Amino acid sequence: MSRNLTRRQFLQGAAGLAGAAVLSGCGATGPTPTAIGPTAPPAGPRPVGLLRFAWWTDVGPPTPFQISTTGPGGAVLLSLIFDTLTWKNAQGIIPWLASSWEAAPDGTSYTFHLVEGVHWQDGQPLTADDVKFSFDYYAHHLYRWMPTPMVAAAEVLGPQQVRVRLTRPYAAFLEDIAGTVPLIPRHVWEAVADPAKYQGADATIGSGPFRFVSHDEAAGAYRLVADPVCWRGRPTVAEWRQFTVPPESRVEIVRQGGADVSLSSDASVRDLLAGDPRLRVFETAPLSIVRLVVNPTRPPLDRKEVRQAILYALDRQRIAETVTRGPAIVGSAGVVPPETPWYNPTLKQYPYDPARARALLGGQPLILTLLADASAREPDLLRPMLAAVGITLNVQTVDAATRAQLLTEGTFQLALTTHIGVGGDPDYLRRWYAGEEMNTFAQGSIFHNATYAALGAQQAATLDPTQRRALVFRMQEILAEELPTIVLYHRRFYWVYDPAVFTPAPTAGGLMNGIPFPDNKLTLFGA
Amino acid sequence: MSRAAVRLLIRYLLLAGGVILLNFLIPRLLPGDPLHVGAAEGLDSGLPLPATAQAQLRAYYHLDAPLAGQLGAYLGDLARGDLGWSLAANAPVGQLLLDRLPWTLGLLLTALLIAAATGTALGLLAGWAPAGPRDRVLVALTAALAALPEFLIAIGLLLVFAITLRWFPLLGGRTLFVEDRTDLLGRGRSALDIAWHLTLPAAALVLAGTAGFVLIARDVTVGIRQAPWLIVARAKGLSERQIAVRHALPNLALPLLTYFGLRLGAVLGGALVVERVFHVPGLGLLGYEAIRARDYPVLQALFLLSSLGVLLANCGVELLYLRLARRQPALHE
Repeated sequence: MSRNLTRRQFLQGAAGLAGAAVLSGCGATGPTPTAIGPTAPPAGPRPVGLLRFAWWTDVGPPTPFQISTTGPGGAVLLSLIFDTLTWKNAQGIIPWLASSWEAAPDGTSYTFHLVEGVHWQDGQPLTADDVKFSFDYYAHHLYRWMPTPMVAAAEVLGPQQVRVRLTRPYAAFLEDIAGTVPLIPRHVWEAVADPAKYQGADATIGSGPFRFVSHDEAAGAYRLVADPVCWRGRPTVAEWRQFTVPPESRVEIVRQGGADVSLSSDASVRDLLAGDPRLRVFETAPLSIVRLVVNPTRPPLDRKEVRQAILYALDRQRIAETVTRGPAIVGSAGVVPPETPWYNPTLKQYPYDPARARALLGGQPLILTLLADASAREPDLLRPMLAAVGITLNVQTVDAATRAQLLTEGTFQLALTTHIGVGGDPDYLRRWYAGEEMNTFAQGSIFHNATYAALGAQQAATLDPTQRRALVFRMQEILAEELPTIVLYHRRFYWVYDPAVFTPAPTAGGLMNGIPFPDNKLTLFGA
Repeated sequence: MSRAAVRLLIRYLLLAGGVILLNFLIPRLLPGDPLHVGAAEGLDSGLPLPATAQAQLRAYYHLDAPLAGQLGAYLGDLARGDLGWSLAANAPVGQLLLDRLPWTLGLLLTALLIAAATGTALGLLAGWAPAGPRDRVLVALTAALAALPEFLIAIGLLLVFAITLRWFPLLGGRTLFVEDRTDLLGRGRSALDIAWHLTLPAAALVLAGTAGFVLIARDVTVGIRQAPWLIVARAKGLSERQIAVRHALPNLALPLLTYFGLRLGAVLGGALVVERVFHVPGLGLLGYEAIRARDYPVLQALFLLSSLGVLLANCGVELLYLRLARRQPALHE
């Protein structure tokens, strides 16, 4: 029997755990949350004294204004200390600090009813005033992981009731803003003029399950302890330690017992640990995407036939299997990955067909330049495949920062990029091409198509899920036909963990705005 | 102080000024933008910074000023001993450097001293009987070691001693999350813990750094072993060991000192590769992180420290040269 626990198995089991936490209320004295999540809670996770998380890099001081946004680790760490109005479980958006909410019919405001009896970690009550203050403060001091330009104002309607008004209807608000932006205590921050440099001991006071204890910048190490009076109940993990481990050692350190959870993007880790009596591997949904950003303003890529020919020329199955050393998930031409709710399964397909690629090119030899990181293995696989159809691929190796700069400037033909953020709310399909994308790895996407832009604006303002789904599906059809980006494959993450200590939890579309991490804080609360 | 020494010091002071100017310019010649740090590192995602926030940060760090303005601000801060505020780590750069410096000094100086002592001894041994079996084996081994890149040696050591045998830890400079104890026993344990963690990184540096000392010491030894003063020493009936240690070894001083000085100067630059592989929190790792994040203030401070370290070491070596050169004839006696 395989020891690997797949995502699907977890969807059946761990989702229930998440639901249990949602419905338990965890000590809150307010109304029972409006349950959008699952309804059959099995027994909760067992108490654990210590959890050690081997992570990628130091993420800076854990405050919303100083946390590093070099990767999603900072935002996820903050989610353990701070809370948001909504949260997500395996099925979708669930109540969190807001026990319920109503959206205005025109989508330009949301009224949130807060859970009663919630306190900040310093004992002060968390009220609607703090929520209003948070949005007001973020208007001047950005939460770097998720700015809030669409928030016009917040107004207090009562001690536990607050209305957030938007500058325009924004369908992604509940997930990308209410579910991502951490709420901060007014009594701490209202006197702070420069939060980016504030180093007071109260800068890390949130309402989340853990209290911040220490940060060792040199070792990229954090120590958090459970808040015994957390509004959702006492977390099942008493102490959380997170520290930086170089990629060469990240799986090995879990094998040696030096950490309890770590990450690999290499599927072969499943085979490596197949005989391990202690460890398991948790596969996430394919929320990471590997794609070629195309600059359709530069000849010959301004011709749709050339872009399509490139896709036909690539044996993406082989590319994905070679690089990930696991089963391939060939890229959807419409960008949205399979196994996610917004995926359109009826899109135009581009099977590996060099003859068709040659026909589309009409025998014309082409020379293209691809920007890629030095560590990327894909260019070596792309080059001979494209050469076989008459395209000479020159690879310009650049570091990530340089590539991002060139993409931002638009001075490129093709660029290889790998990033997350394609599992959550589908508004990213609009943001990429509207110049509003905040994820640097997704920036630089260029696509001048009036129909697509209109559909993008329409879906962002459409609250009805069925209508919005139709619009998003249509956007994917246009992407699949016009190919402003060429998706090579979708990628899973493989989390190595010790099940005696850690219970991974899948999250619908990834944590917050599409982060495929298994450390959803729902797992910290037993039934 | 002699006139030659004064001239030397003036020359080095001028060089230091040039170095400060270069240190200001070099990070700004890198392509990329420090406000795109999200593109620099991490799992897959990037930094969401809208244009307004970028403009605020640019003004704050004088990045919107012309180059001359940026230079003026930099020199002013430097004169006040202010090395700036790290863009990526959100901390004073001076504090970051002070936190990391002991790790680098401890690791690199220890490794350099061991490599110098071992390399000199082995080189003397090899050169004392050139073309013999001992010489051939030592030269072949050191040539092979010299050809191996540091990262390969480091990963090899990691694989054998940390992963397979599990004798040493995989990473870090010390056991994390352990309370520091100030009593003698606690300090002793802490020192042992650090030594245990730094053994493999130091071994990698020693293996990579010994070859140079061996080859220099060996070649110089071969050149002087038939020198007249050594023949006289033999004629006096001294043992080969006495001749080698008392009379030959001092004559290796000048070339070895030059090489040692060059290596010493590089110490303050950190050991980027080895610190990265073993995740030793020294200046090398800080530099690696700063380059990836385009963290100009940290990069500038590191380049400055490293460059001034080279100048200081070279200056020290040249001053020693002046002193040794005056004594050179005596060395042969």
